[in-house]
Amino acid sequence: MQAARGKERNFIRRLMAARAADSHVGIALVLLLLVIVQTLVLGFDYGSFGQWFSAWFRNWINILRNNAGVGIVALGMTFVIITGGIDLAVGSMLVATGAVIMTLIDTGASGILGVLGITGVWAYVIAIIVALIMGYILGTGSGLLITRGRIAPFIATLGAMKILRSVTQHFMQGYNPRVPRDFLKISNMQVGGLMFMPIVYWAVIAIILHYISKRTTFGRQVIAVGSNERAAQLSGVNVNRVKTRVYSLMGILVSIAAIVQVSRIGSMDYANAGSGMEMDAIAAAVVGGTSMAGGRGTILGTFLGMLIIAVMNNLLNLFGVPPFLREAFKGLIVVLAVLLQRKQKT
Amino acid sequence: MIEMKNIRKSFGTNTVLKDVSITIHGGEICALIGENGAGKSTLMNILGGVHQMDSGDILIDGQRVRFTTPAQSLNAGIAFIHQELNLINDLPIFENMFIGRELKDRWGRLDLARMYEATEDIFERMNIEIDPNTMVRELDASYKQIVEICRAIMMDASVIIMDEPTTSLTEPEIKRVFQMMRTLRDQGVGIIFISHKLGEVIEICQRYLVLRDGILVAEGKVADVTTDDLARFMVGHEMKIDRLTREKRIGKEVLRLENFTHAHAFRDINLSIRAGEILGVTGLLGDGRSELFQTVFGADSALAGTMFLEGEPVKVTSTEQALQLGIGYLPRNRKENGILKDLDVLENASIVTWPLFAKRGVIDAERHQEVFQSHRRELDITLQSVNDAIHTLSGGNQQKVVLAKWLAANPKLLILDNPTQGVDVGAKEEIYAIILKLAEEGMAIVVLSSEAQEVMRLCDRALVMYHGQIQGEVQDASMTEHEIMRLATGGVVEAV
Repeated sequence: MQAARGKERNFIRRLMAARAADSHVGIALVLLLLVIVQTLVLGFDYGSFGQWFSAWFRNWINILRNNAGVGIVALGMTFVIITGGIDLAVGSMLVATGAVIMTLIDTGASGILGVLGITGVWAYVIAIIVALIMGYILGTGSGLLITRGRIAPFIATLGAMKILRSVTQHFMQGYNPRVPRDFLKISNMQVGGLMFMPIVYWAVIAIILHYISKRTTFGRQVIAVGSNERAAQLSGVNVNRVKTRVYSLMGILVSIAAIVQVSRIGSMDYANAGSGMEMDAIAAAVVGGTSMAGGRGTILGTFLGMLIIAVMNNLLNLFGVPPFLREAFKGLIVVLAVLLQRKQKT
Repeated sequence: MIEMKNIRKSFGTNTVLKDVSITIHGGEICALIGENGAGKSTLMNILGGVHQMDSGDILIDGQRVRFTTPAQSLNAGIAFIHQELNLINDLPIFENMFIGRELKDRWGRLDLARMYEATEDIFERMNIEIDPNTMVRELDASYKQIVEICRAIMMDASVIIMDEPTTSLTEPEIKRVFQMMRTLRDQGVGIIFISHKLGEVIEICQRYLVLRDGILVAEGKVADVTTDDLARFMVGHEMKIDRLTREKRIGKEVLRLENFTHAHAFRDINLSIRAGEILGVTGLLGDGRSELFQTVFGADSALAGTMFLEGEPVKVTSTEQALQLGIGYLPRNRKENGILKDLDVLENASIVTWPLFAKRGVIDAERHQEVFQSHRRELDITLQSVNDAIHTLSGGNQQKVVLAKWLAANPKLLILDNPTQGVDVGAKEEIYAIILKLAEEGMAIVVLSSEAQEVMRLCDRALVMYHGQIQGEVQDASMTEHEIMRLATGGVVEAV
């Protein structure tokens, strides 16, 4: 009798443990629910199943493509938040690197590479490499301010955020670079009549980062540092280097997002592009189960979190919710997600 | 006069106080001494209303009282000044004096003028020459103590409990606090002085009380005893200790420190340890041994002095570098410094070796699994799955996992800081066995411990630290609990 009860309790405990271990199940269920609602709202008023599916599918491609840029940034933000930090500068880094890319490949009279006589594919390759290096340098700069300079992440990146946007706006005023058509193919290339390249970039990066997070020394050290910085340090982990690298990675991902953005739209509004991006990225990570206190978070979770926010936006659109009210729903969902996760834990 | 009669107190199955009776008179400074865990803090926490006694009586001037909160105790005139001072750095002294009991004018605004004047009065009475308007942040540690004492006086405290007030003070600062204590005594206040520094006890106190294992084992006039007597009271009868034996193969010198000095935790440390040796380092709270060896491990930096590793001078600036040089450090306080709660058992047992075993940055999970399984058998770690969360293990097993991560790295020098803290007797012996085996295999081992008996059982020789310095070395015949306690409380090595 005693033994049977013990066994039963053991079973329940294991079940609970399994559920707690995979908190993704809860997030995925919420996402599924939203997708069902969205599907119902879209309706079935089509001539055939094929037509319906085609419309549904195109809607989805649109949702994903529009969110690929911020989705990529959110993946990097996950690492940052896991270490217990935050990066407010991502939106400003996006316009700064975007401006540099466009200045390099501009087909007008002041396009730097054009003036040097470099055009076509080589110009694009150079622009992309320069963008990646620049993202790396900017990210590393934030990281060093935080680790070597011992400035709180919030403050250091707040400073970087202000500086980068202001400088970019100053130097880009009255200058409208023309982005060559071929460059736009990076994002807008059509495959089978569909434009989905940004989604491919996003997915590939997510898979790589998932692997880094789960299988590499760096990825696990990130979790260790966020979980207990002192214990990590006393286990021979170079805490400062891990933290700096997290911001470097963030910078590189922002520059990829900038490439996607520039090649998708072909222009950039230096005052507004990427503003609020840091908050959207943080929201996606938090909805996906990343703890602001550090130590917990997954790439898969953030990916799902981004999808939840994206579907939510789409739904608000379909329901015809006035634009100014939409942000309120975004805020609501973030708060709800955190409340739900706290319930699950206890 | 305060009397505590027949006080008993248990925490769970652990009886901390067994029928303790003490009396504190006004106008005297009374020392309360004893080893770590003797029951001093529990006794004072009962008097201060922090803990409740299981049975016994507290009488103030013959009246029976019972405290269930610190506030009640304070109202009865008993002030407890803890080691961590309770002041707000960013407020001036006179506002700190009235925290929680601010004086208000009739509009409900703070009456700063009246608070300032009241503080000035107290300072005058106590012969203290500081401006009550000074920010607490700008005060040194002794003046912070003095402000706390003045606050107690302002609340009409008749008895003040001071818990190791001199631990973080320098010589002139100690003099200043002692001067203040004498002034108070002469004004009829009773002071209970908890301290490990027996020299200070002799200097400032009139009476002493010695607790050992929850029993009052000695009391009397300080004038009648020496520091050696007090050390002997604290230890009691020398217990026979079975030294653990092993095949000793002492090799070349692994670590040597010359004049190693830290900003405040330790100074002028000279020591040397050889391969195959087990060196104990012991002392009482605040002796600086943890800080010393965390600095050796690169978690903190030294101000001066040189560290030699296998004869070569090295400057260790990070724990990562220490790991690569072959230095390992098992930290004290497993929960704060050892356990990574978001990682599973295997990860906790392999974090140290991730970079050592990795191929192009990718963790070699299989190899970690193999290495851990072999140590797991050796250490007899009980667990269901290596992928369970670390907190599912018992304390002893968690400690063994933390030890296993350093065994995996196979360092030349392994520093173990309180390696058996919070583990049961069986696990203790298993950890000792591993330590002996590692030494036999040629590892140099440093065991930091607050338990004299542990040091005596395990170590070839031991350094006793006192207030950031090495007070003396004990070995063979001189390695007794008495001698260790004598040195740990500030006694000097006798010339032979």
